[in-house]
Formats: sequence, structure tokens, C-alpha cells
Amino acid sequence: MSQDDDKNQGVELGEFLDFYLLDSQEQIERLGAGLLQLEKEGGNIGLINDLFRSAHSLKGASGTMGFTPIVEITHAAEDLLDRLRQGKIDVSLEMIDVLLAVTDRVKAMLEQVEKRQEITYGSKDLVNSMKALLNGETPAAAKKTELISTHEEEAPASFEPIDFSLTEQEREKVNDAHGMGHGVYELDIKLSPNTLMKAVRAVMSIQRLEGMGKVIKILPSVEELEAGQADGFSILFLSDEPSEEIRKEVLEITDITSVTIFPHVTAESAVKEPKISNNEIVNRETENNEIVKQSVPVSPNEKSRSAVTPAVPEQAQTHGESSTQVHTIRVDTVRMDNLINLVGEMVITRTRLVQIGLDLKSQYSTDPMVNNLNEANVYLGRLMNDLQESVMRLRMVAIGTVFNRFPRLVRDLAKKTGKEIDLVLKGEDTELDKTVVEVIGDPLMHLIRNSVDHGIESPEERRAAGKPVHGTVTLDAYHDGNHIAILISDDGGGLDLDKIKNIALSKGLINEREELSENDIANLIFLPGFSTADKVTDISGRGVGMDVVKKALNNLGGMVDITTRKGKGTTFTIRLPLTLAIIQALLVEVRDEIYAVPLSSVLETLLVNRSDIKTVGGLQMVQLRGNTLPLISLQEKFGLPDAETTNNEVFVVVVGFGDKALGLIVDELRGQQEVVIKSLGDFLNNLPGIAGATILGDGKVTLILDIGSLLQDVLVTRKI
Amino acid sequence: MAEEQLVTFSLGSEEFGVDIMRVQEIIRIPPITRVPNAPVYVEGVINLRGNVIPVVSLSTRFGMARAEETDLSRIIVVQVQSKVFGIRVDAVTEVLHLDSDSIEPPPPIAVGVDSQFIRGVGKTGERLLILLELDQIMGGD
Repeated sequence: MSQDDDKNQGVELGEFLDFYLLDSQEQIERLGAGLLQLEKEGGNIGLINDLFRSAHSLKGASGTMGFTPIVEITHAAEDLLDRLRQGKIDVSLEMIDVLLAVTDRVKAMLEQVEKRQEITYGSKDLVNSMKALLNGETPAAAKKTELISTHEEEAPASFEPIDFSLTEQEREKVNDAHGMGHGVYELDIKLSPNTLMKAVRAVMSIQRLEGMGKVIKILPSVEELEAGQADGFSILFLSDEPSEEIRKEVLEITDITSVTIFPHVTAESAVKEPKISNNEIVNRETENNEIVKQSVPVSPNEKSRSAVTPAVPEQAQTHGESSTQVHTIRVDTVRMDNLINLVGEMVITRTRLVQIGLDLKSQYSTDPMVNNLNEANVYLGRLMNDLQESVMRLRMVAIGTVFNRFPRLVRDLAKKTGKEIDLVLKGEDTELDKTVVEVIGDPLMHLIRNSVDHGIESPEERRAAGKPVHGTVTLDAYHDGNHIAILISDDGGGLDLDKIKNIALSKGLINEREELSENDIANLIFLPGFSTADKVTDISGRGVGMDVVKKALNNLGGMVDITTRKGKGTTFTIRLPLTLAIIQALLVEVRDEIYAVPLSSVLETLLVNRSDIKTVGGLQMVQLRGNTLPLISLQEKFGLPDAETTNNEVFVVVVGFGDKALGLIVDELRGQQEVVIKSLGDFLNNLPGIAGATILGDGKVTLILDIGSLLQDVLVTRKI
Repeated sequence: MAEEQLVTFSLGSEEFGVDIMRVQEIIRIPPITRVPNAPVYVEGVINLRGNVIPVVSLSTRFGMARAEETDLSRIIVVQVQSKVFGIRVDAVTEVLHLDSDSIEPPPPIAVGVDSQFIRGVGKTGERLLILLELDQIMGGD
């Protein structure tokens, strides 16, 4: 099919295109992940079958849509995987590399398709290297295929025999038949989709077969066929007739479109299978004839085998998937965001209702109608909470979707740097908001690159240090209260703290006299323009990274922290809020202004005596249960006028994540409320200390504090 | 003949005009929430039917004396490259048509207003209108 055809079809295919893209991207992801697993674990027939299926359905779907270049390239990949699963060639690093390159190329092609562009990427080079791999069969493998016995051994894997769940007696019969040299066949019979009275076809088949031998079992049972939607059935059959005869007999029944016959394999029969030669394995599925064409016959036996095998996994797949896919539904994210916006507006409106209810109560406290209103409000509130939680849950996505792209990254980086690195993923099931998942990818990638490039030492260094040559980078995620914690740790050499300190000194980021803890020094690398790499590499860049990472995470209302131990490794800990849409907030008043503090980061509120506040090095502190708590006055921070206050006590809101805490000095606490986070827009989105805005019940805009950046300000930049 | 439709407004003693196609709506001044650490010319943010949008004080932006808020004070909500913000003005005067011919390039020494914010000067009768370059009002610099 040519590119011109694509354009002509464009209109009709438009609505299918999105489905095609979604599905193909999924298949490509699966292929990529599977290949990496293959590289690690080596030949595993189940895995190779999966890979083959992905390539096959990718090819099929692309063919339907008319994307010829994708078909060409996936076709060759499918060939290669087919040979692989037949055991005719062995997995090699070279092959994995080529196949990974294929996934990259197809991804790029799909991107063009997504942008409604013509596919300009070629496929020749990759197709050729795959062909070369195809022909590079080892002589040993070729010889093996000539022996019928090895073929019989492999049969179970490639046929994926139907599970008939035989009873003890039935199994005995089958084994007896085997022992006596009778043939035992599995018949896979397909009906044309519109067949009425499917059960009747089954009964007719059984009657005809009984004339030639003995039917042991039919699946699904005749009763089930009568009730169900099955488009075919399988029969376990004992007979001395050749399989071709059996097939003809069944095919005479109307509405039976295809019959596939293969020998039934039991534990005993796998060893000896005298009656059935390969030539008797027949397949009459015409639509698969291109698969026959593409396989390169080595021996006559080969041909018939490759003709049969591709059909079976496909059937197995459709059987398996039909039961699971019904439970999920794909929804456009725009629709979902719309729903969430509506819920957000409802939350605001409910807050107004509550306020009106309270106002009414203070005016008409005796009127029972006011109480009714308030009761209804309380009930509405509960419903809103449930609704909101359900809606938010819709947006939760497992972080695995982000993690999955990293094994490939680490593999490639490791190759490039000549290091040996394992990436261990943990907690991939941890769920967090889609909005967070979408933006967390880049910061994570940067930290991982950093761990691979600067963290893990070269194999020689590791050997010299008495460590395993294989370095390990671990990516871990777990829920921690209202936050998600993501850990990126390596077992490398740890940060060179002296070097960091020297660089910070030479760049004037800190001064000589400052006494910094190890942790403080490690955190210096988040300052803008800091790089410790002796040489600039194209992996972790020019030292523009860490401050950007920090900033990106702060923008999400999160923060990042480092712990490092010399010779043992470094761990980056990221803490992020679970959701960015609707949160519980504590409203605080500073002079005449009201600010919202995300409740998830509020640890406690205190009433502190002014005389207890000490100033150390320009920073206000207060002793709290034996620990020093740094304080920030919001009035100073936000440039508000001093108040001539007579109060001896001030309110302090203690906020923090993990073991980091900070006190915010405010004038009043105004209570807790649900708020919908709104963006301040492109013009104002990077203001220090402000995470966003929200609209209160009275319609006024209130700013939401960015606790992450406030904390980081105190923990890092106060040192400057 | 090419013609422009303008929304005109007054600020201090000057009269200004903006392209009507950029104007989304004109509203009375709602409560404005100050945004700490924002650029000085950003007076704050307002709630426009559930959306939070920034408001620019044109007098601060142009370095003019700030007039008291009166009954006539308005916020003109404009859209620039799909971004929405408000500009606070002393009063909206009218909507008028102006021949493209009667628009002159900004004078080298602008009338008390930084020339980067001026697209041109329009004449209608005896009145001089300063035509605003909205793209520069927010950000730029």
C-alpha cells in the first residue's frame, strides 16, 4: 500500500487512528520492556512468544491502517522473533540491540503518524540487519531441526495445547489409546461468526467423528455453547484415521470455517509419538498464508511447522484477553479534566452554601428551617467528599508508567559509559495523580542519569574498592502520608563533599567561616550553576541540571533531599503531594491578607512567646521540644508592613516533609477548608513561595503557599 | 479603506486605545489579591468567573502617578497569545473606528510613556490616541 492510499483512507480511518496509536504505543512499550527482560534472562519461550505476539499485532494493525513502513519493519522483526521462538537462532546482544533500535524507529514513525505527518523514516537499514541475523543460524541449531524427536519435544510450547481439564478416567482413556498406538488429536474448530445454533454444529461434529473414532471431550461443553457467544470449540478425539480425513469430515458441516488438527500431547506421549508425522499437521486458515511465505524453510518439516504455529498463540491471546479487557474503559483526558473542574466549582459553591448557612444561623438561630439547611449542607459535604475522592481516584496512575522507560535508559547509558549497572525498580504500583506523573518523568530521568554518570564508579574502580563490579541503581516509590516518596539510590562512591565545598567556595556560593553539616554540603549541588563533573559529558550535561530538577519539583509542591555516604552511595529522596487539584488547606492571616497552607504539610500549630524567638545568623529560631525550629515571618517574606502589635504571643504554623520542618509566623489562624488549586497563569507561575491560587467561598482569590520552596529556601539558600 | 476598531480609555491625562479584537470584556474592579514578589506592575490577581487572572496597573507600568479608584475605574480583560490578563484603567471612554491612514508610528520621544509599549499614535479630530502594544505589557522588558 502506498502513501497515497494512506491519505485517501485518512478520512475514514480518522476515528480509528487514535485507537491504533494507543494500541501500537502499548505494544511498542511491551516490546521494549520484554527485550530488556530477554537480555537479562535469556531465552524464555513464554517471553519470546509474548514479544512475537506484540510484533505480530503491531504489524497487523499497521497493515490495516496502511502504514507500510511500519509493516515492513515489524514484519522483519516478527520473522526474527519467530525464528527465535522456534529455537533456530539464539538470543544475542546484537539481536537485542537491533530489535531495540526497531522499537525506537517504530516509536518515531508512530509520532509522525500522531502528528498526521507522512512517515519519512526509512526501514531498510534495520530490515537488512535483521535479515542478516536471520541468516546467521548456528549450524547446531539447523541440525537439531532435522531430528523429529526434538520437534516433538518443542511441540507443547509452540502449540500451546488446549487445556481440556480431563478427569482421571478420561486421562486414562487417552493414555491407553497412546499406549495402544492410536492417534489422539486436538481439533480446534472455528465457526463463521454469524452462525445460529452453535451447539447444533458441535453435536453434528461429534456425530460425524463418532463414526471414525471416539470423542473424549468437547470444550466448551454443548450446554455452554448453547448459552454462550463462543465462535468455535475444541474436541479431544481418539482415532486411527489420518488427520486429513478427519478434517474433511468435519469441514463438510456448514458454517464451520476452519479446522485445525494437531496431536494431543500428554506427559507420556511427549516422549514417543509414533503415529503422527509432521506432514499430518494441517492448518487451513487462509488468512495466515503470508506467514507461510515469510518463513524460510530449512527442511520440509520446517515448513509445515511454521505454518501451524503462528495461528495458535493468536487464538490463545484472544481467549485470554476477552475476559479482562471488558473491565477498563479509555477516556479522553480532556473529558476527565472537565469533570474535575466541575467538581472543583461545586466544592467552591458548597463552601459558599456553608457560609450562608452560618450567616443565617447567627441571624435566625431559632428557625428550624435554618437547621434543616445546615443539616443538608453537612450531608452535601459528605457526598462532595466521596464524589471528589472518586473523581480523584480516576486520575490516579501507577508510577510504573514513568518507571518503565528507565530500564532502557540505564541500559543505554551503562553501555555508553562502559559501566555495568542494574536498575532495580520497586513500588511501581504506587499510585499518584496523573498531573504529577506527567511532569515527574524529566526530573527523575535527570537524577538517574546523574546516578549512572557520577554515582556509579567504573568497573575497575569498583573492583579496586572491593565492591561487586555490577553497580546497582534503585528506584523506589511508596506512599508516605499525603505524599509520595520516590527514592533514587546508587551504591556508588558517594558525593565528594570536600570537592563540593571547594567548588562552592571558589564560586562564592558559601564563605569560609560557615559551618556546614555534611547534609548541608550535599545540598549545595542544588544551587544554580553547580557542577562537580571534571569533564562535561553528554549524559548529565553541563551542570545546568540539579537546580532545574529542584525547581521542577518545587513547582509541583515537592522537594528533594540528598543523603550520601562516602564509598557507599548516594540517595535522592523526592517528596511530592499525591494530587495537585483539590487539597485541604489551613487558612492563615497575615496583616490583611489570607494565605492557604496545604494541610498535608502542616505538622502542628503553636502559640509562641515573642521572647522565645532567637535570632541566629540572621535567621529566627525557636526551641521546640529540644530541637531548633527555623522560623520565617510571612509578613517579612511577603513584604508586608510591620504591625505595631501589642501581642506577646504569635502563631506559628509548623510545616514540613519527612524530617525537615519550618515554622511560619502568622497573625491569625482562620480554619481549615477544602480548596481547588488554580494556576496563576503563565505570567506569574514561578514566584518564590507561591504554589498557586484558589478561590474562597466569598469569591476572593487566595494564594497557596509553596511549602517545598519555602523549606528549601531555609535549608539551602540561607547558606549563601 | 482599512479601518481599525478601538476601545479607548483614559489614564491620567492621556487617552489610549487598544484593538477591540484583543478585548475580551470590560469589568468593574473586583477585590484584587496582591501577589507577593510579583513584578511591581502586577497589581494582583482577580477571580474572573472561576479563573484566576493577573491584573496590570498601567499607571505603574508607565511610571505615571496613580489615580484614585472611582466609580468609573474599570478592568479591561484582554487576550494576548491565548493568555488572558486585565489592565486597570481610570475610565473606558468609547469604541471608535479609526482609519489606518491616520495612525502614525510612535514618536521617538514618547509622550511620557516608554515607547516599547506604543504601537502608534492615532488622530481623530483634535484628539490624540496612544495605541498600546499589548504584547509588551505583560512580561517583555
